[in-house]
Amino acid sequence: MSEIYRKHGRVARFEDGHTVIVDEAGEAIEIGREFEARPLEDKVALPDIDAAAVERAAHEIRRLVKPHRIERLIVSDGVAEHEFNGVHWTEASRRIHLSLTHRDFRVLIDRGDFDLHDIERIASALGRAQAEREAPPRIRTAPNVSAALLPSLPTIAPPSVELWQRDGGRDGKGKPIREEQLTSPPWSNWYRPSYRVRPVRMPFNIQARCEVKTVDTDVPQAVAILAQTEGVMMRVLILDGEVSYPATVRLSRIDAVTEEVTWYPYSAGALGAEMML
Amino acid sequence: MASRDELWYRGKCLERIRGHGVARQRGSRIEATDARDDALMRLCGEDMGVLREIAQGIGDGRVRAIAVARRIDGTIVREKTMTVSIRHVSIVTSPELASRDAAFLRELVASEAKMAFRKLPILWKNGSAAVLLHEAVGHAAEHAAPRVEWPSWLRVSDEPAIAIDDCGDEPRPADLLSEPPSCSRRESFRDVPLRRMTTLVARQNGAVLEIPDEHIEVHLVAGGGYDALTDTVLVNVSIADLVHDGKRHRMRPFKILEPRTSIAKSLCGATGEPIRYPGVICSREGQEIVVGSFAPVMMTS
Repeated sequence: MSEIYRKHGRVARFEDGHTVIVDEAGEAIEIGREFEARPLEDKVALPDIDAAAVERAAHEIRRLVKPHRIERLIVSDGVAEHEFNGVHWTEASRRIHLSLTHRDFRVLIDRGDFDLHDIERIASALGRAQAEREAPPRIRTAPNVSAALLPSLPTIAPPSVELWQRDGGRDGKGKPIREEQLTSPPWSNWYRPSYRVRPVRMPFNIQARCEVKTVDTDVPQAVAILAQTEGVMMRVLILDGEVSYPATVRLSRIDAVTEEVTWYPYSAGALGAEMML
Repeated sequence: MASRDELWYRGKCLERIRGHGVARQRGSRIEATDARDDALMRLCGEDMGVLREIAQGIGDGRVRAIAVARRIDGTIVREKTMTVSIRHVSIVTSPELASRDAAFLRELVASEAKMAFRKLPILWKNGSAAVLLHEAVGHAAEHAAPRVEWPSWLRVSDEPAIAIDDCGDEPRPADLLSEPPSCSRRESFRDVPLRRMTTLVARQNGAVLEIPDEHIEVHLVAGGGYDALTDTVLVNVSIADLVHDGKRHRMRPFKILEPRTSIAKSLCGATGEPIRYPGVICSREGQEIVVGSFAPVMMTS
């Protein structure tokens, strides 16, 4: 059986001091184990992208993070029309990826919108970073930190929490993303970041749920990740009152997860909430 | 530019990806579309024909064959690359050298790896020191890292073998011990051009090489990295032997993670002319490009 996927996309991306505006369309055909992808000749009309808004966001980020060094900054805004075996859908996406350094510390920040509050807060905490310390026995993780951790949790989640896929949108094969509990693979949905790569099964919109929904706001908070998370290990920047410091945290239990969530572009999407570890 | 990319597994094609596009730069703005250049597509088709014949013939592994043709200010640049993987170990090669390199890879993966890593002097054979220097010298130069003291006998340069770089500038050799590469390169029309290496060539002039009885011989490297923030170098060694009393024992894969200053201090000898290392696919800022790699046999303590 053959599967045909088509995508028409337009994106404006700020990267390394350049603004790149890309217009392209392509199709992917899968027949059994064989995969073929190629550009499409016929185009569809897509809404304009405001490249100036992307540049404004990038310039505002540069202003907010001074005097730290920007190692990498990518800001993008895109729109795409998808089609899979006769199903059509549209997606708009905004992304920020920022790698920021101060002395020998690096924080990694990702957003799925142009809200810059996290960035401002993290930049401020980074500026006050002291030497590495042992992580305190109890910490809160800010939503952006929790979200970075979520994609590695579905198969190793501590017993106090459940991992769920929240509904919303369609996957890389046009199938609606439905709410379901994540326990073990194979996952129900397919992730396809580009028409040039084979889709892979992946959970979308991952959310941690816990019976306890309130966190102790007096506990120090992990405000940013300092490296990609590896399983249950996280290198994070901890903010404790006016002081911040890097620490390594091993996730062994999650005691509380707040209800308010923000979507972050980790794997096929993660809904970050404040968590109490 | 135009590209064709095929994945072959045990003589059967599993993936075919075609691409084409144009990037036009005005100041800091780049407008890119997937417009087709028929002449470039034709050249890619011809090149892929050659690669496909070789890929089909490698029946015991996985082959990714990539043909790319670029037109930059009227000059056409063609690239043909093959990555051959057998038993999870890879080399990067060209159609001219593919069968020789694949035979070399088969020979290397035939032995069972049993020995665990322990710290010993390392003899970097088969041009593999080029990977170590790619990270410790090449990427450090790209990031304008502070200078470190390298042995006086060592020369490391980027020696472009292309007529024009991806920004239309004339390539020139660069002494990577004191300056960044001169060439701007990009993986595709969607990407921002970056100063990147093209062909790293390490040479020795007047070095001495004394090989201790017990040492490690590195044959193939799976990859590496340079962290500009911490000034550290990572090298993942995939095929190496522990040599002891003239006997060789295949080692399990291991990694070397050292500050760049330690790498520089540890370089203690070299001999001969630069040897071509089969392959570096260099990934930076999400853009993968092929970098030619040559180094003499070298020793680190």
